[in-house]
Amino acid sequence: MRAGLPAVAVAGVAVAVLAAGCGSVTGGSAAPARRPASLPLATSLAAGQATWAVVPMGTTSGPNLFWQLFELPAGGASWRLATPPDVATNGAIALGVQAGQSLVAGIHPSQLLDFSPVTSTPDGGRTWSTGAPNPGLADVPDALGTAPRGGQLISLNRSGSAGLARGGNSSWTKLTSTKALAATPAGRACQLTELTAAAFEPSGSPVLAGSCGRPGVAGIFADQGGSWHAAGPPLPATLSGRTARVLRLTRIGTRLTAVLQVGAGHAASLLTAWLTGSRWTLSVPLQLAGRSVMSSSFGSGGGTVLVLSGGRGELLAGPGASWQPLPKLPPGRTVTLALPAGGGVDALATDRSLLTAWRLHSGGAGSATWVKAQQIKVPIQYGSSS
Amino acid sequence: MPGMTNGLNVNDPIVVAAFRTALLHQGIAALLIFAVLSVAWVAIREWRPAAAADPAAPGVPAEPAWRQVLRIGFGLLWLFDGILQAQPAMAVGLPSQVIQPGASSSPHWVQHLVNWAGTAWSYHPVQAGAAAVWIQVGIGLWLLFAARGPMSRLAGLASVGWGLVVWVFGESLGGILAPGLSWLTGAPGAAAFYCVAGALVALPARYWRSPWLSRLLLGGTGAFLGAMAVLQSWPGRGFWQGTLRGQPGSLTSMVRSMATTPQPKALSGLVSGFGSLVRAHGFAVNLFAVAALAVLGIAFAVAALPRVSRSRPWLLRAAVIALVALCLADWVLVQDFGFFGGLGTDPNSMIPIALLAIAAYLCLAPVPGTAEAPAAAAGPRPDWRSRIRPAALSGWFAATGVRTVLSVSAIGVIILGAAPMAAAQASSSAAPILAEAIDGSSAPLSSPAPAFALTDQHGRHVTLASLRGKAVLLTFLDPVCVTDCPLEAQEFRQAGVLLGADDSKVELVAVNLNPLYSSTAYTQAFDREEQLTGVRDWLFLTGSPAQLRPIWRQYGVASQTLPGGSMLGHSDVAFVIGPSGHLRQELDFDPGPGTAATESSFATELATAARQALGSR
Repeated sequence: MRAGLPAVAVAGVAVAVLAAGCGSVTGGSAAPARRPASLPLATSLAAGQATWAVVPMGTTSGPNLFWQLFELPAGGASWRLATPPDVATNGAIALGVQAGQSLVAGIHPSQLLDFSPVTSTPDGGRTWSTGAPNPGLADVPDALGTAPRGGQLISLNRSGSAGLARGGNSSWTKLTSTKALAATPAGRACQLTELTAAAFEPSGSPVLAGSCGRPGVAGIFADQGGSWHAAGPPLPATLSGRTARVLRLTRIGTRLTAVLQVGAGHAASLLTAWLTGSRWTLSVPLQLAGRSVMSSSFGSGGGTVLVLSGGRGELLAGPGASWQPLPKLPPGRTVTLALPAGGGVDALATDRSLLTAWRLHSGGAGSATWVKAQQIKVPIQYGSSS
Repeated sequence: MPGMTNGLNVNDPIVVAAFRTALLHQGIAALLIFAVLSVAWVAIREWRPAAAADPAAPGVPAEPAWRQVLRIGFGLLWLFDGILQAQPAMAVGLPSQVIQPGASSSPHWVQHLVNWAGTAWSYHPVQAGAAAVWIQVGIGLWLLFAARGPMSRLAGLASVGWGLVVWVFGESLGGILAPGLSWLTGAPGAAAFYCVAGALVALPARYWRSPWLSRLLLGGTGAFLGAMAVLQSWPGRGFWQGTLRGQPGSLTSMVRSMATTPQPKALSGLVSGFGSLVRAHGFAVNLFAVAALAVLGIAFAVAALPRVSRSRPWLLRAAVIALVALCLADWVLVQDFGFFGGLGTDPNSMIPIALLAIAAYLCLAPVPGTAEAPAAAAGPRPDWRSRIRPAALSGWFAATGVRTVLSVSAIGVIILGAAPMAAAQASSSAAPILAEAIDGSSAPLSSPAPAFALTDQHGRHVTLASLRGKAVLLTFLDPVCVTDCPLEAQEFRQAGVLLGADDSKVELVAVNLNPLYSSTAYTQAFDREEQLTGVRDWLFLTGSPAQLRPIWRQYGVASQTLPGGSMLGHSDVAFVIGPSGHLRQELDFDPGPGTAATESSFATELATAARQALGSR
C-alpha cells in the first residue's frame, strides 16, 4: 500500500477541524484623539418652577446601575420620581433646563445603545415627547445645553465633537470638534487638551469649555458668527501659574455658571465663575486638599453646592459669598446635594432602590443638622438591561 | 477571549443530548466499520486462499521492547483521553473551562491563536466534541493495532499531528510562555510528550537498533530534567515559599486548588495533606524537587555515555526507577491524577514522562533478531494502474494481516469523527443547535399574516401586500433598546448574508415596538448604529402609536413600559411569512447570551426558515 496518503488525509482533516472557518474577532476601534473627559455625572439644577436631580441608583456599575431623575416643584416639599420612560438610563441622564417645569433630557449611551435618545417634558415629567436622537453624549454632566429662548440644543459628544440641533425634531449638525477648536487662535492660546462641557451663553451664543495646557487660562470658548473666541474669566493672579480645567458649565436663566479646577493634586483649588451679561464674577478659591468632586449642583440664584470625597459638602450661596462647609453628609452609598428653588439645601442619599431626601435644618447658634424629610422606593427592574 | 464561549451552560440539556446522540450514532458507525472490514477480509481470504497465503509483505524486524512500551502505552493514553472527551459537559465547556483558563496567562498572540480554535469549537460544539472523541479513540486504537510496518509508523505520525494540535490549541503551547511554568504541574504540556513518543514510533525500523537512538533518548531526558531543575529553582517565581506575604505560594496554590476539585474523599485528603506540608515547609519541598530533578538529570546524562552504560548499568536502572517513582508521587500529590475535577482531558504529564523514561532504558537492551525477506523475491514492482485493479486490490487485502485490517478500521473511526466537523467548518455560520438550546424549536403556522401599512426608515409607505412574492422575516424591535434588539438586528443582517442569492427573494422587516421613540429619526439612528443602512431588503417600519398598537396586538407581541429607568419590556419573537402572505413559522427569538456564536446560530435558523418559506410558496 502507499503509506503517505492516509497520513496526509488524517493530518489535513485534523488540522481542518480546528483551523478552518473560524469566526473572526472584532478588534477594538482605535480611540479618537482628544476624546472628552469623564466627570461625575450626579447633579442637580434648580430653574424656573422646579428643581431637578440626577442620581445613580441600583448597583454602582454595570447593567443594574439605573440613573434616576427626580423633580421638586418650586415651593413643594416632596421630591417626585420623574425618570423618562421607555428608555434605559444605565448610562445616565444629561439635563437641559428650560423655563417653568420644562426640561430636555439626553440619555447617555450604554451597553449596545450607541446614540443618545433625547426627550423633553413640559410638565415636570408627567408627559414626554422625543427630539432628534443625538450621536452619543459625552460622559460629562454638561453634555447637553438648551438655548435661553428655547428651541436650540447644544451637545458635547463622545467622539469629541460638539453638535447643534436647531429645535423641534431637526437633526443634529456638527458645530466643531476638540481638534478643530484646538487649532483656532483661542484654542492655541489655551493649548486645549479636552472638552468637558457645552452650553449657551445668556446671549444665545454656543459656548464650549475644556482643559487648557497653558497655565492661567480658563478654557471657555464662545461661537460668534462662526468663529470661536476665548470667553473665559481671567484667573486671579495667585492662580495664574496653574492649569485650569472646567468641571461644569451650565446656563440657568440669564446666568452662565462655571466651576473650574485650578492646579492638580493636593494644591488644587476650585472656583465658581458667573457670567451675567458680559461680565464674569469669580468666587474665592476652595482648597481641595487632595479631595475630589463627587457631584456638583446649582441653584437658581447662582448657588453652587458640592459633594467632595470623604463625605464632605461645601456650599457657595452665590456671587459674593464664600464657601461654607456643610455638616457631615447623611449616610448613603451616594449623596447628591440640591439647592431647591424654594431655598435651603437638600441631600439626596441613595442606596440601591431607596432614595432618602434630607433637609438641612438650621438650629440655633449657627449649628445645622440634616433632617430626614422623605423616602422614595424606586421600582428598579433589576436585570432588565442585562 | 471572545471566541471561548458560546454563552450556553456547560450542562445545557439540549446540547448534551445532541452530543450523546452524535456519539451513539458515530459509535454504531465505528462498530460497523470494524465489522464490515473484518467480514470483508475474512470473505476475501476465503475467496482467494492463494492470495491469503502469499507472503507478499516484506519481512521487518521484530518490534523492540522500547517501541512496544511507547506504542501500547501512548495508544492506551489516547484511548483514555478520547473517553474523557466524551464527558457530557465537554461539548460546551472545553473552550471556556479548559482552554481559556490555560491560555489566560499566556501572551496576547497565544491567546489570539487559541481563541481562533476556541471559536471554531464554540460554533459547532457537538461536532467538535464528537470529533475530539473519535480522533483520539481512533489514534489510540491505531497505535494499539498496528505493531509494525508503514501502518504503524503512520500511527506514530498521526499521534504527532494530533498531539501538536492539542499542544498548540488545547494547551496554549503547553503554557511555556506563561509565568509559573513548572515540571511539577505539567510543563511543557502533556501533549508535547505524546508528540515525542509519536515521532519515536514513526522512526523507520532501520533506526530501532541504532546506538545513537538510546544515547539521544537518555541524553535528551537528562537535559530536559536539568532544565526543569533550573526552572524550578529560579528565584522570584514563588516556588521556594510555602506562603508569600500571607498568601499561598505558587506550589501551595496549585496543590490546594487541586484538593478542592470533586474527587474521591481519600484522594482529596491526601492532596490536601500534601498542600499543608507545602504551605508549612515550602522551601524544603521545593529543595527536594530541585535536587531530585538535578540529580536525575545528571544521572540520565551520564548514563548516555557508552562507557558508563556498559560498566555501570545499575546507574541507569536506579535513575529510571527513581524518576518513575517521582513521577508517580507528583502525579498523585500535585497533579491529582490530572483528570479529577472540572473537565479533565488527560492524565497530565507524569505518565507520559514515565513511559518515555522506561522506553529510554529499554532502548539500551538488544533488539530481537530480524526476519528480513529477500528483497529480490518481490520481483519487479508493477505500475500503479496494475496495483489499483480490483483483482490486485482484493489480492492485497486478502494477503494483509488482521492488524492492518483493524488499523484501517481505526483510521475509519478518525475520519468518522473528523469529517462532520470538517464539513461543519466549511460553513462560516454556527450550528442551529445553539439557537435551539436558547429558545427551543419553532412553531409551524399556516394562516394569513395580519396586514400592516407603515412607514419605512426612508419615509416610504410600505404594506405587507406590497411585499407579496417575497418571503418575509418579520420581527419587532425597540430602536432605543440597549440589549436584545441590536443583537436581533445583527442576526437579521447575518441571515441576509447567509441567504446569498436568495437574499433578493427575502425581505428583512422590523416593526417599531416603542410607542414613544416612534419617529423615523429613531429607526434611522438605529440603522446607523447597527450598520444596517446599506443592507438591501432591510425595512425598519414605524408609525404613530395608533398605527402600531393594532399590529402589535394582531401579531401577539406584548410590550410594557417599565418604571425606574428601564427600557421597554417586550417579547422577542420573529415570524416567517411565505411569498403568498401566509404565516409559516413563529420563532422564539430571545438572543440569549448574545455571543458571536449564538448570533450566528440564530442567523442560520432564520436563513433556513426563509428558504423553507420560499420552497413552500
